[in-house]
Amino acid sequence: MMRPRWQKVLADLRGNRGRTALVIASIAVGLFAFGVIATLYLVIRQDMRGGYAAIQPANIRLRTSLIDEDMVSSIRKVAGVKDAQGARLLNLRLQKAPEEWITIELNSQKDFENSNISKLSLEEGTLNPSKRQILIDRYKLPDINAEIGDLVAVETPAGQIRQIELVGIVSDLTNGAFSGGGGFFLSPVQGYVDADTLEWLGLPLPDWYDTLYLTVEGDGMDQSQIQAVADRVRDELEDRDVSVTSLATRRTDDHPNSPYVNAISSVLLLLGLFIVFLSTFLITNTLQALLQQQVEQIGIMKTIGARRTQITVIYMMLILAFGVLAFLLAAPLTSWVSFQLMGFLVYQLNFNLLGFRIVPVVVIAQALIAIIVPQIAAFIPIWRGSRLSVQEALSGVRQGATKARQASSRGIVRFKLLSRPLLISLRNTFRSKGRMALTLVTLSLGGALFISTFNVQRSMANYIEQISQYFIGDLNVTLAYPYRVEKIEELLSPLDEVSHVEGWMTARSEILHQDSSTGDAVQLLAPPGGSQLVEPKLLAGRWLQPGDQNAIVLNELFRSTYPDLQVGDTLRLQVNGDETDWVVVGFFQFAGQSAGYMAYTNAEYLSQLVGLPGQAVLFRLVAARTDLTISEQEALGVKVQNLLERRGIQINEVEAGLSVSQTAADGFTILTAFLLFMAILAAIVGSIGLAGTMSINVMERTREIGIMRAIGSSNGILMLMVIIEGYLIGIISWALGSLLAFPISNLMSNSISLALFEASTSITYTPTGFLIWFVVVSLLSIGASVLPARKAANLTIREVLAYE
Amino acid sequence: MLNNFVKSNGRSGGRSRERSEQETKISEQSQIRLTNLVKTYKSAAGELPALNGVDLEIYPGEFVAITGKSGAGKTTLINMITGVDRLTSGEVWVDDMPLHKMRENQLAQWRGRTMGIIYQSFHLMPSLSLLDNILLPIDLCGLYRNGESTRRAMDLLTQVELQDHAYKPPSAISGGQQQRVAIARALANDPPIIVADEPTGRLDSVTAESIFQIFLSLVEHGKTILMVTHDSNLAYRASRTLEIADGEITTSNLSYNERLN
Repeated sequence: MMRPRWQKVLADLRGNRGRTALVIASIAVGLFAFGVIATLYLVIRQDMRGGYAAIQPANIRLRTSLIDEDMVSSIRKVAGVKDAQGARLLNLRLQKAPEEWITIELNSQKDFENSNISKLSLEEGTLNPSKRQILIDRYKLPDINAEIGDLVAVETPAGQIRQIELVGIVSDLTNGAFSGGGGFFLSPVQGYVDADTLEWLGLPLPDWYDTLYLTVEGDGMDQSQIQAVADRVRDELEDRDVSVTSLATRRTDDHPNSPYVNAISSVLLLLGLFIVFLSTFLITNTLQALLQQQVEQIGIMKTIGARRTQITVIYMMLILAFGVLAFLLAAPLTSWVSFQLMGFLVYQLNFNLLGFRIVPVVVIAQALIAIIVPQIAAFIPIWRGSRLSVQEALSGVRQGATKARQASSRGIVRFKLLSRPLLISLRNTFRSKGRMALTLVTLSLGGALFISTFNVQRSMANYIEQISQYFIGDLNVTLAYPYRVEKIEELLSPLDEVSHVEGWMTARSEILHQDSSTGDAVQLLAPPGGSQLVEPKLLAGRWLQPGDQNAIVLNELFRSTYPDLQVGDTLRLQVNGDETDWVVVGFFQFAGQSAGYMAYTNAEYLSQLVGLPGQAVLFRLVAARTDLTISEQEALGVKVQNLLERRGIQINEVEAGLSVSQTAADGFTILTAFLLFMAILAAIVGSIGLAGTMSINVMERTREIGIMRAIGSSNGILMLMVIIEGYLIGIISWALGSLLAFPISNLMSNSISLALFEASTSITYTPTGFLIWFVVVSLLSIGASVLPARKAANLTIREVLAYE
Repeated sequence: MLNNFVKSNGRSGGRSRERSEQETKISEQSQIRLTNLVKTYKSAAGELPALNGVDLEIYPGEFVAITGKSGAGKTTLINMITGVDRLTSGEVWVDDMPLHKMRENQLAQWRGRTMGIIYQSFHLMPSLSLLDNILLPIDLCGLYRNGESTRRAMDLLTQVELQDHAYKPPSAISGGQQQRVAIARALANDPPIIVADEPTGRLDSVTAESIFQIFLSLVEHGKTILMVTHDSNLAYRASRTLEIADGEITTSNLSYNERLN
């Protein structure tokens, strides 16, 4: 037979199911938040690294003039090279909708199925496309609305439309690996075809390659070793009269989206800590209230011979039982929710999940937290409760408490204009100061977190807005070849909807080191001198001026990678194979490491330099009407495209201006989703805290409510008193939470932008979060009060006065 | 009723049998001794004296009724004797134990073995069954083995004629029945002293009489009983009556029976 003291523990658990549920929920929510965060963090890192390494990703990518299979074979013999593979890359247009075309990057290799470098993973269909067949990467597949067996239309370089059959859906974990950070999100649809298909599409010499992928010997984790091998291969190719236009390197475990994962991890860690912190407050508050209800029983036990340690152990066992039950609830829920979220992240972050699994470290940590944290939170209240003398415990009056209570009541009584019930509500709100403080801390921090997530989202949106200031314009038209700017302007002049046209030059270049070795790729963007379509945010120096010759403005990535590089210094770049010197006139802030190296120069100078004076590939158009929606921009795009194509201009892509910021925003979808998830968790923690406090406050005053009813108080007045009390707590917490939201938003925003962009952003505050939380907290506080108020109002006077 | 209380006491059967043989004979050695006991409460209004230098001796087997008006100091007096409250000055001795010098934990353990306390509002554990309520002090003091303690608790419930309700919660029985459970609980560890603070205050006269009969039966079996009461009829039937006014014992009378003896 179980000993009576443990019977009491069980009876306490079963006796008040609502209270037990509240305590378990308050512990479980913290365990759940911690568990989900830890599971996501560990599994994503593990699967992203492990999955990426498993496909044997290329450590080196070289873009070259055309080479054949023999050349690839000879490169395999270069010291340090483990394997080499040639590929042919080709950008075409793919028809998304009757009037809508998007870019597709075709990748052709000898054998996708037996490839030893950057292996594709098959999701559906086959890995062996035959002639007129294509495989497409899963990430952008929803953009083209196609399924296996469908025919998709692509436009050949000669302008013909070809129908090509989709036979496989694959995941290419290296997508974006060699196009700078953020390349994955910004990359076009990825297609994979064989050489026969390339020939059918009209590409000359389809068996030749323009890209070389290499893996290095060893584990591929040593960046300097990879660079040394890359330099040797480049020298070898150049010795064999192959020109190398770009060279990029990457470690075997360095998944292209790892900067995003790091950024998300840092945010998750911060938010997770907040939630666990909040949960600890919640547990402390709930357990303190629970023990408050047990004071009389402590007195009885002391009367019949219980020692302090015995009482302490009894309540610690009760708390342990709460912890164990919370763990049993939270642990399975954690795994389930984590892997549901992971299912969403697999596509968003482009990694392959190595299967559903329980993460033992997380489960053990959750179990330890479930056992230890509630004990820590409850220890002081338990110890204090067990210290009460029998007299104090049984009478409910603590020595010395009378004076303090009188003093606090006196302050409230001064508001003589308020009605008596309202005065009582006010007094009740502040009656249990400790509990009130803990509830306020929990609810205010929860609210601050909730509000902050909206501010951070707004700041990120502003950041994207800031990025789009470098590409102002309603339409971006990329032509297949450079055309004279004047000609395009003339062709577009009959269109009244277009008010301004600018021809931009672009070129790809590489940083040249002092030893003449090429480094990272730099995207050169050249608007015409005095362009109105760039509004830069300068970090140092000045922007370009009309007439500037070899002046160049660099993005912040140069500053972080080359801290010695200053305004006025000379930067040597290889542009179209030629060594060129540029004078750095300024630095601008863009998207940090996520955008790779970017530089602006004047179109007039760059077009001269590349031998195409007065010509441009990229045209930015400004509509006559301002504030076009994205669909209006797209409609204008169709008009422009039809007009230019009728006049024989070959177009690669027509893109609505707003879609640039939309694409950039894609990378933030995950962050936004997580911020929302955390905001909801914070709201749940806050609401449990408030509901608990209100139900305990009302429960404690059941007898008082009975007396008030006995002396003529109506149900309405009683309910109003309780609701006002709850609402007061809610509103005070909203005010405090709103104040706290300012530093917390700043902290979160900086933490994200430092991880993502290696630069702190200026925080933007939006009223949205403040207003939503105001509504939520109002509903929450009223809702949390109504239930216990109704319960109390429904009791008969006899029941209430007999309440023990 | 309660004839078997003492006999059923497995732990201290010898001592109880001796008492049984002595019947109600009062020993010359006092069991409870208060010397110049002062208790003052601190409040917002200043210091409130509750007991002003009380001297008192109670002997084994006595049935002492404590009477007086509300606020006179009756409950304070028994709180000092049971050690549930601390005195301001003076001395409290129970069976050679100096309560005024003992720590809270020592007091709790000592109280569990030496004192059975009964309150006006019963103070049963609401979440436990009647049987578990009686088992709890046995469990906390650890004086009986598991099987033995259950038999003893059941026996005590039988003695108060509530064996059929053993597994019910306190809320399922009447006030008089709850008070009988409280008495059974007070006897769980077979303490030599029973202290009752207005045990019949919440009960009707018939139920109050049955509770009083239990007390008489306990005194017959050698227990010392201190009972705070407002009921002068009940007080009159105790072996001694102490009247308290303004924190002082104003009258200490032998009862009608004692006077007859």
